[in-house]
Amino acid sequence: MSIMSYNGGDVIAMMGKNCVAIACDRRFGIQAQTVSTDFDKIFEMGPKLFVGLPGLATDTQTVAQRLKFRLNLYTLRENRAMKPKTFMSVVSNLLYEKRFGPYFIEPVVAGLDPKTNEPFICSLDLIGCPMVTDDFVVSGTASEQMYGMCESLWQPDLGPDDLFETISQALMNAVDRDATSGWGAKVYVIEADKVTIKTLKARMD
Amino acid sequence: MSRLYDSRTTIFSPEGRLYQVEYAMEAIGHAGTCLGIIAEDGVLLAAERRNVHKLLDEGYFSDKIYKLHDNMACSVAGITSDANVLTNELRLIAQRYSLQYQEPIPCEQLVSWLCDIKQAYTQYGGLRPFGVSILYMGWDKHYGFQLYQSDPSGNYGGWKATCIGNNSSAAISMLKQEYKSEGVKLAEAMKLAVKVLSKSLDITKLTHEKVELATLTRDGNSCKITIMTATDVQKLIDEYEADEAKASAEKKEKEKASKS
Repeated sequence: MSIMSYNGGDVIAMMGKNCVAIACDRRFGIQAQTVSTDFDKIFEMGPKLFVGLPGLATDTQTVAQRLKFRLNLYTLRENRAMKPKTFMSVVSNLLYEKRFGPYFIEPVVAGLDPKTNEPFICSLDLIGCPMVTDDFVVSGTASEQMYGMCESLWQPDLGPDDLFETISQALMNAVDRDATSGWGAKVYVIEADKVTIKTLKARMD
Repeated sequence: MSRLYDSRTTIFSPEGRLYQVEYAMEAIGHAGTCLGIIAEDGVLLAAERRNVHKLLDEGYFSDKIYKLHDNMACSVAGITSDANVLTNELRLIAQRYSLQYQEPIPCEQLVSWLCDIKQAYTQYGGLRPFGVSILYMGWDKHYGFQLYQSDPSGNYGGWKATCIGNNSSAAISMLKQEYKSEGVKLAEAMKLAVKVLSKSLDITKLTHEKVELATLTRDGNSCKITIMTATDVQKLIDEYEADEAKASAEKKEKEKASKS
């Protein structure tokens, strides 16, 4: 039994043309027992900045709250919105502070630069090692399955609608092959002028 | 080593006064004016901007008014560097509360917490008190719109309308006469603020460069803190001057009529 698979859950983020998408499943379980089907793992950190926190559920909540703390103080002091790349460093720092007693979370960051609207995605491991990519990032109990799905389905320069379809299919089919993931899915498509949140009709098992 | 100086800065005088605290308040009495007014549908803070120097590189947005949290903002009068330390501390206090209780800090608690810190500087450590008075405006679900004032002694009070800084006593007596506690909307309160400021400031003509105005209102389920733009402030000033001109013209007419 691994602590990272105690609660189950997954997050994917994908890069599109002038947009990004981030999606998660909605299951909260305690090993085999599903307890809730509305446990979202994606949190809004800014108008165009989202973070997904799959892993141990208690750490999902705590890390989201502590990140908001740091982000709020940054915004108040600097009087501007935080860039996604900077936010990645904040997450990395927060996680490395607990290097020898870590949070059991492997976060995914997705957002657009507040000024230039340049899309950005990255993932980090539980002790804060950041990895920036220009295609997709995955994290969770079905990560192997998600890697397979993303690798086959993703193409560069997808528009918002195509990106939505791609990320939805990648997530849904990956979590269907994992016992501790699924029970609903939520997708956020982030564009320069709006954020669209859609709940997917998925296999509820 | 510091025990030798422990008894210096914050001891009582023979008449039972704390001189350092009083001297701190003196420093504030020479600083730029700030006033706050509560209305039915919001609170406002207005401040005199003193740092208007041609050579100053205007990088920042606001000189005297600081947002503390989603539901609170403050304006400061006194030693700017002391004020920066305190506003930073206020922001940290508010965030820590928010992290622990997952809800915004009630206004009085934030004021009270900082005032306990300010008080410590009047009793322990041999350090001088902070030379800042702060006006806080905020909203919480317990008491609605609130306005607080704190001073270097660590004392605070809740007010309907008040003023700190240069010429504050003149402003307060004007507010005492003109402020109505019932049925005042924010727009009216803003007019009153401009009127009081223009009469109590030492400058001859009020311009948007010399005044900062911020309001706090409720927008559905959340608070909205707006720092007014230069054009909006100028509009208010122009409206006030037009009203004044009209009033004095009418007065002249009446005098003429009564004489003839």
